[in-house]
Amino acid sequence: MSAKPRETANVGAGLWKATGMWAWLLFRISGLILVLYLGAHIIVTSMGQFDKFDGLMEFFDKPVMVLLDLALVVAVLYHALNGVRIILMDFGVGIQRHKVVFWSAMAVVVICFAIFAWVAFTYIITGEGVTS
Amino acid sequence: MRAEVISTHRGGVWSWLFQRITAVLLIVCLAIHLIFTHILNIGELDSANVAARLANAGLTAVDIILLAAGIYHALNGLRMVLMDYWFTSRTRALTLTIVLWVVGLAFMGYGTWALWPWIS
Repeated sequence: MSAKPRETANVGAGLWKATGMWAWLLFRISGLILVLYLGAHIIVTSMGQFDKFDGLMEFFDKPVMVLLDLALVVAVLYHALNGVRIILMDFGVGIQRHKVVFWSAMAVVVICFAIFAWVAFTYIITGEGVTS
Repeated sequence: MRAEVISTHRGGVWSWLFQRITAVLLIVCLAIHLIFTHILNIGELDSANVAARLANAGLTAVDIILLAAGIYHALNGLRMVLMDYWFTSRTRALTLTIVLWVVGLAFMGYGTWALWPWIS
């Protein structure tokens, strides 16, 4: 049997056809969004020092803001689970099956997102939390 | 060129290690933070609600860990991104690192002060 050159996702041309490059780009974009959110979150929280916290919370207590929270959840979950994948790759875990690892991580993203979507839409529709 | 793009330890071995340690801390603490804030204990969206939650020393500790690990992870991540674009030389990278440490420590102090009305 003649040896066929092994196809790898990481080498050569067609870089942007590889799942890994999209994973990398989205990791970067979600990371930058989260840096900005962390800064904003610290500043908003600090408004408690100026007695402006409750007024701000009224501003955030709108369906459109809850939907933005849900978009943030997507960034957090993607960044977290792709990060777990990167740590696994750093330690060589699952490196032979990196696509399976990636899509498994994305499945966890979808499952966790479903939980937060349920929480968010329950709040938007009924104004109650899922456990209250 | 490819190796340059996928190498995850260009920023130095210690920053590589701390980025991973803070990543694990963030996953654990952020899960606690989000579950306690948005799933278990949702009440009125106001400072009294936050006060009730932060009366628990464990949750306050989680928030302080999130603050420290979050700032380190965010700014070190930002550093890794910026080092790909303009902060490519040794001198520029060092300047960037120093500036980000100053910004990070300032945010750490400011963030702790921000939590003070609830934890004191």
